[in-house]
Amino acid sequence: MKLDFNFILRNLPTFLEGAVVTLELSALAILCSLVWGLVVVTARTAPSRALALAATGYIELVRNTPVLVQMLFIYFGSAVLGAPLSGFAAGLLAMTLQNGGYMAEIYRAGIEAVSQRQVEAGMALGMRRHEVMSIVVLPQAIRKVVPPFTNQAIVMIKDTSLVSSISVAEMTFHAKLLTDRTAAAYEVFLTLAALYLAINAIVSAALRLLERRVAIPT
Amino acid sequence: MLNVLLANLPLLLKGAVVTLYLSAASAALAAVIGVAVALLQLYGDPVTRAATHVYLYVMRGVPLLVLLFAMYYMLPYTGIDVGATAGGIIVIALYFGAFMAEVFRAAILSVPRGQWDAARALGMYGRLLMLIVVVPQALRIAGPPFVNTCIMLVKGTSLVSIVGLWEVTMAGRQIVERTLAPFQVFGGVAAVYFVICYCLSRYGRWLEKRVSYVH
Repeated sequence: MKLDFNFILRNLPTFLEGAVVTLELSALAILCSLVWGLVVVTARTAPSRALALAATGYIELVRNTPVLVQMLFIYFGSAVLGAPLSGFAAGLLAMTLQNGGYMAEIYRAGIEAVSQRQVEAGMALGMRRHEVMSIVVLPQAIRKVVPPFTNQAIVMIKDTSLVSSISVAEMTFHAKLLTDRTAAAYEVFLTLAALYLAINAIVSAALRLLERRVAIPT
Repeated sequence: MLNVLLANLPLLLKGAVVTLYLSAASAALAAVIGVAVALLQLYGDPVTRAATHVYLYVMRGVPLLVLLFAMYYMLPYTGIDVGATAGGIIVIALYFGAFMAEVFRAAILSVPRGQWDAARALGMYGRLLMLIVVVPQALRIAGPPFVNTCIMLVKGTSLVSIVGLWEVTMAGRQIVERTLAPFQVFGGVAAVYFVICYCLSRYGRWLEKRVSYVH
């Protein structure tokens, strides 16, 4: 097996064009699910029983179905409704819905990991419930969720490859076109894998740096 | 409104059977790979350890879809022909085997140190110690996260529809092309996955409760 590096270099602009879309979708999906997860966890831990039950049902639903099926549901469903979403929008929506469910569980685990005694201590000092939450619990919880958040972010970056099947021209899509056109399967897929590895390595290194910066000093 | 779904239910269920088959086969293979990689990573010589690190790094950093595409486009050039279904099962097993390796490695490491010491004090060593003392306890600890990885795996099998294998997601796509009823049909497809994965997740939670008494 001999790799044609000239071929890779010649087609690098195509890969990078796709990489931009991959990065855009990843960044947007991560940001949106961070926010949506916060909404879901608020409902999940709400005093209202009905709201908590609805949120639990939602989390179970999105976590126990494949994101690909959710994408197809939204992409083809929106077309039938007469308001067709672009593949990019459908993919972003599906990823936000699914990963918002995962993020909600991650937030909840972080909140529950803060000792109940700290809540009681805060109350004993005369803080109100929302003050205990914002001053005592959340600053500690956020630090605890950085490692599982890093895992989820990597999962999401990898999941962006699925939108290639609803015709979004991201990295995997370009790679497939390129292979269909040139039959240079080794060169194309090794480059593609290397690009994903590089993106994930950079993102996880950055998040590990963040984890160390926000760590509670011992 | 649900007529479309009802009319095509037999086809969807046929797809569900294929999905179950793909999931079971690749989960079994992934478990074997996971145990082997975990043991190599913990007790192998430096070279095999380095090799398992590379394997884990690649599997965790590259999307499953890209691995599937790579398999379908690259393997033919090497002259290896494993067939579409077997190829899909192998790639899914290799991908999730990496996650299972982490599960088993963590489980082996979380068997308390005292158990090893006690076994050694009783004169056990090597394979006997592993087989009688460590592995039974590790398997118990590994149960719940193993089931969680299986849920990811079942959802992951939907990707083989993109590379042309026929299972429940592909069946759904074909029915939608014919009937133009994406909500009902993909809702039905989602329901199939939901039933499988929700049962698994209840089972995982039950295991978790049962296991928690150990320590």
